[in-house]
Amino acid sequence: MFSLKSVFPNALRDRLFHRQSDVWNKDVDFSTNSYTSLVAPSGTGKTTLIHFLYNLRNDYSGIITYNNQNILDYDSEALSKIRSNEIAIVFQDLRLFPQLTIRENISLKKALGKQSVNLSIDVMAECLNISHILDKPAHICSYGEQQRAAIIRALAQPFTYLLLDEPFSHLDLENTQKAIDLIHSTCTENKAGLIIADLDQNYYFPYHQQYFL
Amino acid sequence: MNKSLSILLNKLIRSRAGKAKYITAMFALLLAVILLLMAVQIQVNFNRLLSRENTRDSIANFLVINRELTDANIGNSRLPDSLITDLQKQPFTEAIGTLEASRFKASIESNSSRFPFYTDISFESTPSDFIDVNTTDWHWEEGNTIVPVIVPTQFLDIYNFQFSISQNLPQLTPAIVKMIVFKITIYGQTNKVEFNGRVVGFSDRISSMLVPGSFMQWANQKFATTALTNPSRLIIKTKDPSNPRLVSYLSKKGLKTDSEKTRFSKFRRIIDMAVWILGASGLIMLIFAILIITLFIQLTVTSCKPEIILLITLGCSPKLLNKLLMKRFFVPGLLLVTVGTFATALLQYISYLFLAKQQISIDSLLSPYTLLVACCLVILISVANRFSIMESMNPYKKNSSNGRKWVSK
Repeated sequence: MFSLKSVFPNALRDRLFHRQSDVWNKDVDFSTNSYTSLVAPSGTGKTTLIHFLYNLRNDYSGIITYNNQNILDYDSEALSKIRSNEIAIVFQDLRLFPQLTIRENISLKKALGKQSVNLSIDVMAECLNISHILDKPAHICSYGEQQRAAIIRALAQPFTYLLLDEPFSHLDLENTQKAIDLIHSTCTENKAGLIIADLDQNYYFPYHQQYFL
Repeated sequence: MNKSLSILLNKLIRSRAGKAKYITAMFALLLAVILLLMAVQIQVNFNRLLSRENTRDSIANFLVINRELTDANIGNSRLPDSLITDLQKQPFTEAIGTLEASRFKASIESNSSRFPFYTDISFESTPSDFIDVNTTDWHWEEGNTIVPVIVPTQFLDIYNFQFSISQNLPQLTPAIVKMIVFKITIYGQTNKVEFNGRVVGFSDRISSMLVPGSFMQWANQKFATTALTNPSRLIIKTKDPSNPRLVSYLSKKGLKTDSEKTRFSKFRRIIDMAVWILGASGLIMLIFAILIITLFIQLTVTSCKPEIILLITLGCSPKLLNKLLMKRFFVPGLLLVTVGTFATALLQYISYLFLAKQQISIDSLLSPYTLLVACCLVILISVANRFSIMESMNPYKKNSSNGRKWVSK
């Protein structure tokens, strides 16, 4: 479980200090097996919060704990294990390796973790209509195709939390719905919690909690 | 690490630092390995030649020592016990033996009228460990009528290349000489005893007519015409006859040894110098090669910074990346040391064949010391690689957890 105790981002202190927020400077828990939506306009710290949770940044005041341990206390090896077996993520900027094919990008992430019970890469690619680009280098695919590949990469590994940072920003309605269905079914299968950050209030998933940043 | 992961990681961590530099460094490393191993092997070969027992190669490490005769000590060439004890204590002395001289009159003469000869003679004896002839015939006990004799090789050479020519006599091979049985006569105060003598070997080391110690003791006891005194000559076994401390000790004590050893010590100095040059060149090349490889590893890691950051972000452990880089750089190093060792082994075998034709015997295989040095080189390369990889990966390791703020892209 993630717990935030009076967390406030140093970089956004001036901008957010007088703004009402359900998360910043508050005590908040994101429990496993629950779906959480974080809604906020641009520049209010959605990506910042996702990065805090994923332990990519530590420029904040307050404490974030994961499984009752301050996330800053995890050493590099423990963090690698968590990232490859417990917390999956879809970055807003996708972060695929451009020189690898889509299949290689997904396989690499999958191979870093333990064996998962999730659907095969080919089945998930079929679900999201990207079977035809699986063996193409990532850099020649469209942003929408890369975004779907990034979703599959996150779902291919074993996880108990899925962090999504504006995951459908470049998808049409039909592909968005297919991605939602795949994410929902995979989270259910893994009994995983989900934290999604988006610009607007949305009803992609049956949320248990919704916070405004 | 499973195979597919390894392939993918290898695809990502590709060096952009220039393969030509890497190949040059590896070639330098190979050359350095061969030079170093050759230096060790040559030193070992030389030491083996010095210390080999009972072969003609070992002339250098046995020294026959006697007083340098001057006007002052003429007629008093005996070596006192104190000097023998002192010599025994010196660090360069491995073993010491006395050359016991006969204290009776003796002669040898031919049993055959075809090779008539007669001469007065004296004998010496020394413990078997100091004799460079290995034969089962070298023993005598009371009652035996045949006395084995070892003759200096120079005696046969003088006979074959001077005496026989001037006297119009046939030349004799060592095998023929060994077949000739001659008469030895020992004269006591009032009586004389005759034995049959037979040459059982030729010595390069000791320039005396040698008889077994048991015979010498028996004959001296029975026929000595003079009292027992200290020996005039000693034989010492030393690891390095060109040792300056040995030379200076002998000179200080007024002792001398034969000049053959001095000549040999010159070869020793030349070989030492050659070994030193080989070793030093190898060492310098090794240092440079390892420096270039270290630099190459750091350049590789630096040039793959975005890939390494993203891999760690996605959950690849720094340990796994270390392992991958270690495999990438250590395996070629290991391969090079193996190739270098085989090349040195081949050179050793060629040297063995070549020197065998010159009557010099060295081992056909590499010595354990050379193989040990090869193992040390593997360890050195492994440590240098590990250190370099750890140094290069350290910032990423820190960044992956609670270190500095990451740059997102």
